[in-house]
Amino acid sequence: MVWRTLQALFWGVGVLGVLGAVFLWVEGARGWLGPVLVILGVVYAVNVVVMPGWRYRVHRWETTGDAVYALEGWLTKKWQIVPLSRIQSIDTEIGPLQQMLGIATIKVTTASSEGKISIEGLDVRVARDTVDRLREATAATPGDAT
Amino acid sequence: MSEGGWRRLSIRVVYMDLIRAVVSCAVGYLGAVVLNDDGPVWALVAGSVAGFLGALTDLIRWLTTRYRVTPASVEMRSGWASKRHRTVARDRIRTVDSAAKLVPRLFRLRVVHIGSGEQGSSFALNALDSGEAARLRRELMPAVRDAPAPAADARDERPDADETPDADAGTETADAGGQGQSADAGRRGGEPRDGGEREVLARLRWQWVPLNMVTVWGPVVVVGPLFALYWFLRPFGVDLLGVGRDVIGWDSRGLLWNLVLCGAIAYPLGVIGSAGAFVVENWGFELAREGDVLVSRRGLLTTRTLQRDDRRMRGLAVKEPLLWRWLGLAETSVVTTGLRQTVDAPSGAILPRLRLGEAREIAARVLPGGSRPLEAELQPHPRGALVRRLGWAVYGPGLAAGVLLMFTFSGALPGWVWPLSLVLLPVTLPLAVVAYRSLAHALDGPYLVVRRGALSRNTVALQRGAVIGWSLRQSLPQRWGDRMTVGIATAAGERYYQVPDAGTGQALAFIRGATPELAAQFLEEPDREAGGWNGGSTGDEDAQSRAADRGRARAG
Repeated sequence: MVWRTLQALFWGVGVLGVLGAVFLWVEGARGWLGPVLVILGVVYAVNVVVMPGWRYRVHRWETTGDAVYALEGWLTKKWQIVPLSRIQSIDTEIGPLQQMLGIATIKVTTASSEGKISIEGLDVRVARDTVDRLREATAATPGDAT
Repeated sequence: MSEGGWRRLSIRVVYMDLIRAVVSCAVGYLGAVVLNDDGPVWALVAGSVAGFLGALTDLIRWLTTRYRVTPASVEMRSGWASKRHRTVARDRIRTVDSAAKLVPRLFRLRVVHIGSGEQGSSFALNALDSGEAARLRRELMPAVRDAPAPAADARDERPDADETPDADAGTETADAGGQGQSADAGRRGGEPRDGGEREVLARLRWQWVPLNMVTVWGPVVVVGPLFALYWFLRPFGVDLLGVGRDVIGWDSRGLLWNLVLCGAIAYPLGVIGSAGAFVVENWGFELAREGDVLVSRRGLLTTRTLQRDDRRMRGLAVKEPLLWRWLGLAETSVVTTGLRQTVDAPSGAILPRLRLGEAREIAARVLPGGSRPLEAELQPHPRGALVRRLGWAVYGPGLAAGVLLMFTFSGALPGWVWPLSLVLLPVTLPLAVVAYRSLAHALDGPYLVVRRGALSRNTVALQRGAVIGWSLRQSLPQRWGDRMTVGIATAAGERYYQVPDAGTGQALAFIRGATPELAAQFLEEPDREAGGWNGGSTGDEDAQSRAADRGRARAG
């Protein structure tokens, strides 16, 4: 949650900063940028204050003997189910910010780009255990050639 | 270098990068100091900095990348600031390719791509010694001989290799050179299977030609070559545009009449042109079944033979763009795995545009087992979906008007601009109704049938076994209206099919019917689940009560 807040904050500051700078220095663009800045400002404020907590409250995941399940999202909720037999690869990703906070993202990829599950913001140890478990289970489950 | 241990990329990558860095520095030095005058030197300096940084990141990559091959899986770790750890089970691996560009080849380095069923390559080991690359390949693919086997053989040896994006589902042969089909008959691409009786499903009929020449884009067929001709003749002093003006007497009429006249001339020409193109492309068209292979042949100047194996066939799709639908026409294509989307076979189309009834008749014989999922009775979606689409139709232009209005207030646009987008309303509202009416889904025997689309209505029949995952989406309005969008992930065709805005009950019944075992684990009893999954708060409680062995994302 802290991670998401920070991420949202960085994005917000970055985008608004660039646009603001353009607004200040480029006279001709003011007419166009003014309204955009106002709206983006509101959007990012909501993003920083409301979104992380909401997402944290919604986010759930589970692995069973033969499938992975995840629920995520805030305004739009998204449930995903992928059977282990269809898993192609398992990724763990730890970005710089995530490294600081000791969390990781697991990505489970299938043959369809949309069938990808990513479980974000896991404790590093939990992530490692989960990946080990998934790896064993995936290797034990024969892949069916879809 | 033991079996369980982590291995590194080739040390030669380091040498190569060091040399690259030195060369970049030398070039930069040359640019900045020796040629120290104003001129195009800064480009040289920028290039050398980029080269140096590239070499540096490559070094870091070498330092941090480790991979290992265990009996069960292949793993790779990489990254310094942003770490990445990737695991692929051994039996998912379909291809091991190695490639090298010129400079790495001088260092005897190879980039090894290990591919599983994903769309891209799963691993790119950049780079390994050529010996190490060959060893890795033997290790991962013991069954495959070193010599590249012909495509047809490889397919037989590895029947489960259908996921490979690089491998074509069908063996395609194109004989260019204009010999026509008689010369081609003797050397058709891919050997026909033994013991399969040949059954011709469809042949080109001349009645099809008029069906395929009606097109909105007819004039474009004419205008394109004309423009090319115009630009081609201009250097020779021939002003085609001027000649055309004189011929039709451009200056004697108003603009509108001129446009109408041009359309009147161009349209019939376009129709004739597309009819000609259709005939050339589909000359001698034949769709036949030989045992368990579907063979299609077509083409006058270039004969294309495409073979599709039943084992890779996952279903059928029918596409009906709005205009064709009014004329009762449809285009049929197969949904197969591993078929590369190329210009030649853009979407696995097996039939030209036909009357819907005729297309269905042939489609029923194309599918193995003779089922007719495309004619199944489809369930319409709830009324709420219509309301939502009408809503989009209104607030799309409304939003655009609002945005334009804001710009008007801030002085960037003149005042008459903003109501313009409201002109779209009479178009979007009927489209919303059309879109709603095309929404439907059904379960028919071993097939899932899904239909959607406004401008182009697409019906897809997909085998149940081809479903490799589900994703359910529910936005806020959908939650209020008790609807959800079901996404079907599959390895075949477009790889993702959607059932937008189904009722929650419908959606869950759909999933339960399609994959009962999988659904049983995650969906609970119908009544309870239907209650549990639609409301936000009840959903949370419901999930929490089941959360005994369930991990919870701990973010920070």
